[in-house]
Amino acid sequence: MRLEIESIDIRDIRMGPKTYTEDRGLHINPKELEELLLKDGRIKSVDIDVVCPGDRVRIVNLLDVVQPRCKIDQFEADFPGFVGRLRIAGSGRTRSLRGVAVLVSNPCTKRKYSALVDMCGLGAELSKYGKMRNISIAPYIADGTEERDFEDAVKIAGLKTAVYLALAAEGISPDEVEVYDLDMPNLERHSSLPRIAYYYQMYSPQHDHHGIPDPCFYGTHVRDLMPTIIHPNEVLDGGVVGHHTIRSLDTYTIQNHAVIKELYRRHGEDLIFAGVVFGVANIDPIIRKRKALMAANLIKNVLGADGVIITKIHGGMPHVDVALVGEECEKLGVKTALYTQPLISVGTLTDTLLFNNEALDLVITVGATLERVKLPLEADRILGGTAKTKVFLADPVDQYAGDPMIDMEQMLIAGVHDHLGGAHIIVREY
Amino acid sequence: MAGKKLKALHYLNQFFGQVGGEAKADVGFMVKEGPVGPGLELQNELGARAQVVATVICGDNYFAKIPEEAAKEGLGLIEPYQPNLFFAGPAFEAGRYGVSCGAICKAVGQKLGIPVITGMSQENPGVEMYRKDAFICKTGVSARDMRNSLQKMTKLAFRLVSGEKNMDLVLRENLPKPDDFSYFPRLILRNEYTEQTAAQRSVTKLLAKIRGEPFESEVVLPTPESVELPPPLKDPSKCEIALVSDGGLVPKGNPDGLSGRGNLRWTTYEIDDFLPEDFRSSDYEIAHTGYFPDEVLGNPSRLVPVDVVRDLVKQGEIGKLHPTFFCTSGNATVTRRCAEMGDEIGAELKRRKIHAVIFTST
Repeated sequence: MRLEIESIDIRDIRMGPKTYTEDRGLHINPKELEELLLKDGRIKSVDIDVVCPGDRVRIVNLLDVVQPRCKIDQFEADFPGFVGRLRIAGSGRTRSLRGVAVLVSNPCTKRKYSALVDMCGLGAELSKYGKMRNISIAPYIADGTEERDFEDAVKIAGLKTAVYLALAAEGISPDEVEVYDLDMPNLERHSSLPRIAYYYQMYSPQHDHHGIPDPCFYGTHVRDLMPTIIHPNEVLDGGVVGHHTIRSLDTYTIQNHAVIKELYRRHGEDLIFAGVVFGVANIDPIIRKRKALMAANLIKNVLGADGVIITKIHGGMPHVDVALVGEECEKLGVKTALYTQPLISVGTLTDTLLFNNEALDLVITVGATLERVKLPLEADRILGGTAKTKVFLADPVDQYAGDPMIDMEQMLIAGVHDHLGGAHIIVREY
Repeated sequence: MAGKKLKALHYLNQFFGQVGGEAKADVGFMVKEGPVGPGLELQNELGARAQVVATVICGDNYFAKIPEEAAKEGLGLIEPYQPNLFFAGPAFEAGRYGVSCGAICKAVGQKLGIPVITGMSQENPGVEMYRKDAFICKTGVSARDMRNSLQKMTKLAFRLVSGEKNMDLVLRENLPKPDDFSYFPRLILRNEYTEQTAAQRSVTKLLAKIRGEPFESEVVLPTPESVELPPPLKDPSKCEIALVSDGGLVPKGNPDGLSGRGNLRWTTYEIDDFLPEDFRSSDYEIAHTGYFPDEVLGNPSRLVPVDVVRDLVKQGEIGKLHPTFFCTSGNATVTRRCAEMGDEIGAELKRRKIHAVIFTST
């Protein structure tokens, strides 16, 4: 499977009467984009704004962040199952815009918490999105639309916007072309290099809003999915998208999956990228054991891995779950590197582990995602909500988007941490 | 900081304070103006930037008998000087001295909010007791390491008063790196920027592990702890059973202020009032952000099984339901604090002569 990602660096972005790209400047006709998004009957209206670094703007109620991408050589093939028709993602040519993101807000959300991005001040410095030029979209719910159904509509509106923007750069020659070509059936079987697989824990049902899982894989949810082998290109090219809540993970981060890209980069140099096993965290101990055994078996006896990188998503229960996958892998002789996120900022790092098995002797800290930070901002504009939008804090205090200073857990500032290993962050004892 | 000279105070035990050896270990507090004993060396290291204005001295036994009380007494002598810096020891491997240094640093740091610096060797019990309250520099086991230890303490002190931000920290606090300044980490975890992403680090380290080369885990594994199972109840029909849960079920308004994440408190509610048979869902909320709470709010017995236990009591299977429910929120709480809360709740249950506990989690 061969994927070419053609990246175009965008240096300016502005609204205008016509959507096109010129001199690395992206011009957007908001009317046209609005018409496109309002074709979805679940959306009554939509706010569309351009935000740039330095703007005194806070974007709240974020449900997702998406990198503008479109398929170049395939028709109706973008984000299959969500926007495009169902097909397997990950082959052919994809256009990708760099330096720009779609910030997708749900101003009608009833969830307890959602993420935000500041375009100015400390919040902007911490977040990769705070340094980009972005399109903010905020759809409003149409009468009679159910809450969860509307969330899906918002998610899809974000993906559609991403495709729309990337299409606008047609004819521009790319600044970089990356080739992701992994011929899994004919992988170097006789190489002396170690074979490294990747276990991608990509969902946990514990936060299912109203007990309904978020669709994030070819248009469907994966709550009951058994461990499955997928091609890494499917992840990079829109087969997988973010959940409906950003907890240090969003579609943009998945499109730029750091572990997959790193394994690709070193493939044939000092390792053989043996493939990806996809898994879901479980609450039930028997189901958990069954899936851990299956995952380890796929990794060892189907992919033939010598080692495996294991990443997890947010939460304590997923922490236990990846540890069990790791234990089963080590039992089969597959060496593991296990990612964790310390959820606390006191104690020793050892105190943050939720497992106790000496075989799991290589633990990587992707970041203490719940570390608190105070964000000062006198915002001129609040997008995706209002100055009165409540900003979540785990403590029993009330704070609002328009407050001159808010106290945030870093995982709710989009673009700071990355559960998939892309942030230049480590957790240390002080 | 070029202008004003910093005022430093120094704490020593009776031996280093030149009062006497073990025979004088019971002696109480005294103050000597200016530096004494190792204080002269400390003054040497501080140079022109800071002045050791006084030395507070106390006997090891006197201090270690009731360290908190002694620290309070010592603080009373220190406060009038209004120092900018406080040094204690170094205590090296000496246990009573280490505890004294730690305790007085803690008292001074909390009250005056100034940098408090001491020095101990790894094995000194004062390290575990006071590492979170004081900057404890790593020293050798004996006074042979005096000069080197004082140099570390001085370097760290100047770094702390400089107010210099650690730009490697996401939060950019004035926290010097423990390795660079050779002190015991103070039970604080912080996000630090690194050159390599987690993805890059993990692949490199995994390859080293596969090749059998040394690799460094970013987290040190815990030492296995085994918990002995208690014997089963002989006759449950004569037993009083208590209900404990970490699911964060609290009255509407969360009057005890439990946090939804990283909670450090536990509390109690009387079951007859809090969980009556004719409960109303609207009377509750969930102080726990680790799960979607609709099921529990619909019927709190799904988390705290009062309904079943009441039935079992009626049927004579269980002797009595303890009238008090013990409640906490266990979500991203530091395991140290979890263990402490377990001890506290356990002690209270024991005091109430409870025979068994049903502990429900989420």
